[in-house]
Amino acid sequence: MWGFYFEQLIDSLPIFLKGLWITASVSGLSLIAGSIIGFFWGIIRGGKGRILRRLIGAWVDLIRGTPFLVQIFVIFFIFPEAGINLEAFPAAVIALTNLAACFICEIVAGGIQAVPSGQKEAATASGLSAYQRLRYVILPQSMRTILPPLVGQYVLTIKDSSIVSVIGVIDVTRAGWLTVQRIPEGVLVFGLVGILYFVICYPLIQLSSNLEKRMTVVATRL
Amino acid sequence: MITFSNVNKWFGDLHVLRDINLSVGAGEVMVVCGPSGSGKSTLIRCINRLEQIEEGDLIVDGMNVHDRKVNMTQLRAEIGFIFQQFNLYPHMTALENVILAPTKVRKMKKDEADKLGRETLKRVGLGDKVDSYPAQLSGGQQQRVAIARGLCMRPKIMLFDEPTSALDPEMINEVLEVMVNLAKEGMTMIVVTHEMGFAREVAERILFMDEGQIVEIAPPEEFFTKPKSERTKLFLSKILTH
Ligand SMILES: Nc1ncnc2c1ncn2[C@@H]1O[C@H](COP(=O)(O)OP(=O)(O)OP(=O)(O)O)[C@@H](O)[C@H]1O
Ligand SMILES: [Mg+2]
Repeated sequence: MWGFYFEQLIDSLPIFLKGLWITASVSGLSLIAGSIIGFFWGIIRGGKGRILRRLIGAWVDLIRGTPFLVQIFVIFFIFPEAGINLEAFPAAVIALTNLAACFICEIVAGGIQAVPSGQKEAATASGLSAYQRLRYVILPQSMRTILPPLVGQYVLTIKDSSIVSVIGVIDVTRAGWLTVQRIPEGVLVFGLVGILYFVICYPLIQLSSNLEKRMTVVATRL
Repeated sequence: MITFSNVNKWFGDLHVLRDINLSVGAGEVMVVCGPSGSGKSTLIRCINRLEQIEEGDLIVDGMNVHDRKVNMTQLRAEIGFIFQQFNLYPHMTALENVILAPTKVRKMKKDEADKLGRETLKRVGLGDKVDSYPAQLSGGQQQRVAIARGLCMRPKIMLFDEPTSALDPEMINEVLEVMVNLAKEGMTMIVVTHEMGFAREVAERILFMDEGQIVEIAPPEEFFTKPKSERTKLFLSKILTH
């Protein structure tokens, strides 16, 4: 019985590979863009400017406090009413980038705030500019706190990317849906889907826990 | 070199500096003492604008600190600041700590800064610790690296905020020694400390502060033997019996 489905599953291999590629590109693009934006927001949020800090804080709370599914629907179905028409793929990347940026922002801001204020004062007192303080004193120290949860967040973002299948992006999850309509063997098909996500995420999970260990070693050395 | 004219500062409702008038000349060493919370730290932190003042004028090396147009980088480059907790950068070696500001703020060339850094560390007795990280150094050594870090900018003024208070007793002297030498070389220094031996040896004047006010300023001899104010007498009786 399973042997028969297995052959059919082999036939579905191309669509799974394509889905894997789409999942990788949606997640990859979102993670790169989300990291850049997230660091930028996080640096502002970890700093002193009141208004910008509040504004970003409110946005982050909004995004973290609403389901990602709803955010995607807003971009894909409501934006067109305002004249902004997006294909499914860019809509997915924008939504996921924003989501990743918001979580990364909080991680970065937390890391910056965890640097003792004495460090910032010493750097200020020696005449370093705001940029130099960040670049040479604050960020190198906060990276220890930032990196492990950052990689953890990457894993979460890759898994969250499965939700973009609802607007028709043919990622691994969607490939699973399409296949299961031909092969009514859900366990087998979605088992495969799960394995594919796991294959992408597992190295990152390892990296995250390695970093965590390494960072504590560094922390005790420092 | 440093002139406070009618300086006032508040932290919210708390009036931390009240009508401060004070002038410190080039090459002078002044010791500041007073009870906890009297505003000593705040007083010296205003000088390099780690704190803002609300009222009055504060002129440092011809620059009006309070003026928005003043070049803060230039001002701060002229002033070394030593913290009670050292605040060395933990991710950098002693040498990297001391040459960061010279290379980034003074734009000194790397090899030139390197040479200066090594010389300065040697000067504070740490010629063999250039490659050590702060965590590998004792408190006294860390504080001497911090002093070297200040000196590498070739400042005109050095400010010290209780530089020996966080140290084990046996390490206090090695730090004070460096400071005494610095004073004898003619550095302009304001030192918040309760090390009265140090004050007696090198201070031109001792300033006693209480509740944000300057209660008394006098040369050490006079300060210790015939303090004018009751508050000074009370304070001295407390710290000198320790
Ligand atoms: N950033 C701040 N915000 C609000 N209040 C502050 C701040 N910094 C200091 N204060 C208050 O201002 C007063 C003076 O503080 P300051 O640190 O100058 O005292 P100090 O004489 O240095 O005391 P200590 O001997 O304990 O170091 C204290 O009552 C303190 O609580
Ligand atoms: Mg203090």
